[in-house]
Amino acid sequence: MLSRLVLRAAPAALRALPPPVAVGVLHTTRPLHTTQQSLAPVPPLPEKGGEVRHGLIPEEFFQFLYPKTGVTGPYMLGTGLLLYLLSKEIYVINHETVASACILAVIIYGIKKFGADVAAFADKLNEEKVSAAQAMKNEAMQALQTAIEEEKKEQWRVEGHTYLFDAKRNNIAMLLETNYRERLMMVYNEVKKRLDYQVALQTLKRQKEQDHMIQWVEKNVIQSITPQQQKESIAKCILDLKALSKSAHAAV
Amino acid sequence: MNLSFFDQFSSPSLFGIPLILISLTFPALLLPSPDNRWVTNRLSTLQLWLINLITKQLMTPLNKKGHKWALILTSLMIFLLLVNLLGLLPYTFTPTTQLSMNLALAFPLWLATLLTGLRNQPSTTLSHLLPEGTPTLLIPALIMIETTSLLIRPLALGVRLTANLTAGHLLIQLISTATVALYSTMPAISLLTLLILLLLTILEVAVAMIQAYVFVLLLSLYLQENI
Repeated sequence: MLSRLVLRAAPAALRALPPPVAVGVLHTTRPLHTTQQSLAPVPPLPEKGGEVRHGLIPEEFFQFLYPKTGVTGPYMLGTGLLLYLLSKEIYVINHETVASACILAVIIYGIKKFGADVAAFADKLNEEKVSAAQAMKNEAMQALQTAIEEEKKEQWRVEGHTYLFDAKRNNIAMLLETNYRERLMMVYNEVKKRLDYQVALQTLKRQKEQDHMIQWVEKNVIQSITPQQQKESIAKCILDLKALSKSAHAAV
Repeated sequence: MNLSFFDQFSSPSLFGIPLILISLTFPALLLPSPDNRWVTNRLSTLQLWLINLITKQLMTPLNKKGHKWALILTSLMIFLLLVNLLGLLPYTFTPTTQLSMNLALAFPLWLATLLTGLRNQPSTTLSHLLPEGTPTLLIPALIMIETTSLLIRPLALGVRLTANLTAGHLLIQLISTATVALYSTMPAISLLTLLILLLLTILEVAVAMIQAYVFVLLLSLYLQENI
């Protein structure tokens, strides 16, 4: 068991040296050149450890003895060896035997009671490590996926920009048109104002001429009426009035 | 072979070749070596978790300069834990039952902390010799007492570890001898003694771990004062 430990530990220890030295000793760890030369990828760990019976003896030993001695072979061997050692006093029962029995009882009790929990704890530690890395990987993938979605959305938005620009162009055209028409209206109004002024001026002038003329005519006529004509017209008026009053009397 | 009570404390040798070096370095072989894997097997994961726990516990109270001591304190802790626990197995030799070994561990490390303190901050280190708020009349006496307490620290560290482990191992041996001796005459009493032995074994497992922790904790405390 210990030789197995040393033989297994040696290549790993040699590989764990700093890289310049490790490259040099790498070939000494493969004496028959049966394995790969590179350090990576590392072969996966086996799922379960080697099978042991009674916590100590590998299953291969039982399989090894099975063809010749059957199922009870190894047990007979063990019992025989034990009894031989005891009876020949190769192993003497002394106080250490009792002490070893006690410590063995404590160890076996400890393993039986806490073994599964400790194994589960170790598995949990490994599981946490792996799941943390997985979570990071998943988050990165999720972030990239979201980025792709955003990019697609932006591309769709850009397609809609043409409509936006058309609408804006229309708007501006309308504004320009309105402005032009306003200015046109202003021009028209200004011109009309000036023309109206001229018309009003001419109308006023004609009016003034007419009034002046009427006044002059009237003045002249009144001046031309002599006193004699005045008397004659008054007398005629009185005669007319009398005539009219007579006809009025008659009507009533 | 007939064992006397103190055979377990003699330094192991085979045909005159001292095996103490093997007994000191063997426990390291039992630890899994760090592989260049990301997800390791259960033993490596647990080892890593334990080392992380120990280093965090020891280094949290220390300032940045004290973190230089992380490697030696953690290795010391792992070494003492392993050696103490392995010593509980039958017929094994526990190196930490030897006073020479424990003093060889304690004295240089304590001296290192003291010299670090005296070199980098001599007045602070010397001021530790006088607790705050002592009445003026007591100052000379207290300085003497504190100096003695300071100088006895390595001895205390070494002897504490030695005494605890030696006493535990000796007790286990004595009680198991009693169990064996009583077995032929009074089996019932022998059974009772066996029960006591069982409880003692559990205590010894706890003591092995606690003593390792206390040794390293005290060293880190002495470091805290001085760095």
